[in-house]
Amino acid sequence: MNTMNKKGYLQISFAWLFAIIVGIVIIALAIYFVTKMVGTQDTIQSAKTSKEIGILLNPLETSFESAVTSSVIFPKETRIYNRCDNYGNFGTQKIEIMQKSINNKWSKTGIEASFQNKYIFSERNSEGKTFYIFSKPFEFPFKVANLMYISSASTNYCFIDAPKDVEVEISDLKQPNLKLEEECSEEDIKVCFEYGNCNIQVNYDVKRVEKNNEEMFFETDALMYAAIFSDKATYECQLKRLMQRIEQLSNLYVNKEDFIGQRCDSNLGGYLLDLKDSAVKFDDSDGLYRINNIIEELEEKNKGDCKLY
Amino acid sequence: MIVIKNKTQMKTKKAQMKIQQTAFMLLAITIFFVLVGLFVLMFKMGSMQDTAEILERDNAMSLVTKLANSPEFACGSVFGTQKVDCIDADKVMALKQNSAIYEGFWGISNIEILKIYPGSEENVECNIITYPNCNLIRIKEGELTGYSVSNFVSLCRKESFEGSPYNKCELARLMVSYEAIE
Repeated sequence: MNTMNKKGYLQISFAWLFAIIVGIVIIALAIYFVTKMVGTQDTIQSAKTSKEIGILLNPLETSFESAVTSSVIFPKETRIYNRCDNYGNFGTQKIEIMQKSINNKWSKTGIEASFQNKYIFSERNSEGKTFYIFSKPFEFPFKVANLMYISSASTNYCFIDAPKDVEVEISDLKQPNLKLEEECSEEDIKVCFEYGNCNIQVNYDVKRVEKNNEEMFFETDALMYAAIFSDKATYECQLKRLMQRIEQLSNLYVNKEDFIGQRCDSNLGGYLLDLKDSAVKFDDSDGLYRINNIIEELEEKNKGDCKLY
Repeated sequence: MIVIKNKTQMKTKKAQMKIQQTAFMLLAITIFFVLVGLFVLMFKMGSMQDTAEILERDNAMSLVTKLANSPEFACGSVFGTQKVDCIDADKVMALKQNSAIYEGFWGISNIEILKIYPGSEENVECNIITYPNCNLIRIKEGELTGYSVSNFVSLCRKESFEGSPYNKCELARLMVSYEAIE
């Protein structure tokens, strides 16, 4: 008996079999490309967000204010990667954003938004939906840049025994994750200005911040906050970038002095060249005090009708 | 024998026809999906280009309102007390000499400062020879290209009268240009 005539035998013609196989291939390809498209879309979105963060920081450039604060709220859980390098005349601030995708996984994009005129101090990776950005001008002795301190809303900082001006500044900022002693809770990161059992120890007299068993030195409150909010690698890299900008600004002021020499002579050229030289030689925050001597001299000399800055 | 051979040949031809039909159909479907894919890709590329251009514009717009306060432009306390939206013309002229170093620093294509009051009939570009008897400071050489956004600022400089220095401030327009993305 022929097998083809057996009861229940499924008869499929060649055309059907072929169509089914091709159909499966087409659907598989479609699924593959759709998945790829979604991935690309995530990458585009993250790259766009990174760039947008940079643009959002522009209005935080201060004029009169001693400090300003702002917040950024993302629609989904986000990680901000803060990267920095010292190549070129000013070094580069890089921001990479990772957001949770539909399947609850972090979409790694590898695309960074780069800025030469921004200085962000934060942990290398910050996570959350809401981030606070607090900005303060860094003057050394002329205005060098606005420093931006980014922290996640889920991380609270508690300032204990802070000097009066720091207390006033924190309280005036009204940034919800920056608290003074009386508002603190157990889980908060404790920033102590007197010795105690704290996560971050600030020695305001020696101008030193101890964090994760590492030391960072500062001059001015702007750099103190920078050391508090960032890890050592980020702090040192951004500080080096600030020195690169001081180098170029000193150069600019030397040129300006030459330019207005006949109309107004300030006699600061020598000191500015010293500052430029020190900025070029700057290695890490240990050497900040050496520059501070030149800064004090410059502050003393930049007076009268022919001020340079 | 001949009849059997012909029948087999007929069957083979029919099968070949069917395979050809299916192959053509497949080709048509593939071309259709490729075209749809290309269309989607073009649409996506177009929207990406729009997004990039919007980001460039947003950057220029947010920058122009604050650029006057950045250290390379700001008056600081040179002209008395600290001033908002005040540009130190002498410093900007020094910046113009160092424009190559600042290439790409603000992420825009060029910056221009045009003195608008007191006005003049024609634009005289500032350089070492013409300054301060000029009304247009261009940080980078060449005309503004692409789109531009502007903001009003005060433009101050040091002048001297009978050997003693004095401050002179005028009204100016700060223009920031950014390239169109193609």
